Amino acid sequence: MPETTSLFDTLNELLPEILKATGETLLMMAICLSAAIVIGGALGLLVFLTSRGQSLERFRAFNLVANGVINVVRSFPFIILLVAISPFTRVIAGTSIGPLAASVPLSIAAIFYFARLIEQTLRDVPRGVIEAAEAMGASPLQIVRHVLLVEARSGLVLAVTVLAVSFLSYSAVAGVVGGGGIGDLAIRYGYYRFQTDVMLITIVLLVVLVQSIQFLGQWAARHVDKR
Amino acid sequence: MSQTASSIDTQPAIQLRGVSRRFADPGGRTVGLQPTSLIVPRGEIHGIIGFSGAGKSTLLRIVNLLERPDAGEVIVHGQDLTRLSAAGLRQARHRIGMIFQHFNLLHNLTVADNVALPMRIAGERPARIAERVKICLDFVGLAEKADVYPGRLSGGQKQRVAIARALAPEPHVLLADEPTSALDPRTTLDLLGVLADANRQFGVSILLVSHEMEVIRRLCHRVSVMEGGRIVEQLDMADGRIPEGSRLASWLSDFGAGPAASPSPSGRPDAGSGHHLALEAAHA
Repeated sequence: MPETTSLFDTLNELLPEILKATGETLLMMAICLSAAIVIGGALGLLVFLTSRGQSLERFRAFNLVANGVINVVRSFPFIILLVAISPFTRVIAGTSIGPLAASVPLSIAAIFYFARLIEQTLRDVPRGVIEAAEAMGASPLQIVRHVLLVEARSGLVLAVTVLAVSFLSYSAVAGVVGGGGIGDLAIRYGYYRFQTDVMLITIVLLVVLVQSIQFLGQWAARHVDKR
Repeated sequence: MSQTASSIDTQPAIQLRGVSRRFADPGGRTVGLQPTSLIVPRGEIHGIIGFSGAGKSTLLRIVNLLERPDAGEVIVHGQDLTRLSAAGLRQARHRIGMIFQHFNLLHNLTVADNVALPMRIAGERPARIAERVKICLDFVGLAEKADVYPGRLSGGQKQRVAIARALAPEPHVLLADEPTSALDPRTTLDLLGVLADANRQFGVSILLVSHEMEVIRRLCHRVSVMEGGRIVEQLDMADGRIPEGSRLASWLSDFGAGPAASPSPSGRPDAGSGHHLALEAAHA
């Protein structure tokens, strides 16, 4: 079985590289997911609360502007966004190469992607339940904490799952411009050097990561859903 | 200060003075509420009946300002809600309970946590919350379901939880928006018993909207009949009889309900009596 041996050898030989690339991918994911959950989550929540019929409807101007910005950022193909904001990336990260630099455009794309996901997830909370809380004398912040985050929680977990899977793949795209990570490995060895075995290894690695994220996300969503 | 308190004590539970509300329905027609006044004395169970589009839900939702009137005063327990700040209104709402046709429970909270919710929102102490949750769940007969999620309850049980939730903060007033319309006749009867008990035991005044005559007849002390966005008639229902010659009586006979003044003989709401007539169904 020479081929198996050669794949095994490649794996063995590239193990440090693979581990490093995986670490870089996880770093990019950690940064962009955190940014998306904190900033994008807040943005999505505000867009929801300022939409028609919700408790902060009087700030509809914010809603219109934020919706426009979200749509504009989401219209950019990721690779274009990556290149277009590289001057900004250099200011923030000090460089435009490497996983930290790649985290800047990844974070920006993820923030607006997640904002939209959250806004749509919150729309699934029945209006009547929000109204019941208003009738109890709940403030907008209390509605968020006691109603929206409670009733939408399984949807929110699934939204994070979708976000993680999408941005695992986006982070691989960042490899094209020297962003590092598993995508970078695939491009340098698998694509430029025609090392099909390396390509195979990276793909298997990505599939395993996606499956794990999806499994974990669905399990968690089911676990918190009492509806 | 004591003088203010005693004058509040003699105030009606609910006093609407010339409230009106205009808005366009989805078909573009202007519907809403004509300038309307209503007084619900303390301890009264007051019903509002009418066809759909008559403005009865709007009137009810004006009482806790879920719907803000274009004009008029909304005085609940001696306090004009329309003059309050946002924070003041939230404070006032802590003492106005509300139940809904579709219950509006939180499905990701246990029964006990649902009942606790309005008190948590009002910032009550945990010990006090635990005490009230127990009292109110005992009252509606669901103490053993405290740790169950609402998804596992029947419709009638869900509405009982909603009643317990509304009663937990010891409201002066309970607003009920078609509370039995999603329930079968027997469950309806049980729930009317719970509401009557709440009124007797806790002295809570109840304003209830329904299109089911039987609900009004069995529960309410007085009824306001609404048509075209105004109250066209108010009747005393204390003996469960609809006065002959009233508009309500003529409606009921118009819809083939038979003699309006005779209560259903078997005492059951599903006994084929015309009083069980659903006005909205008859209208459609």
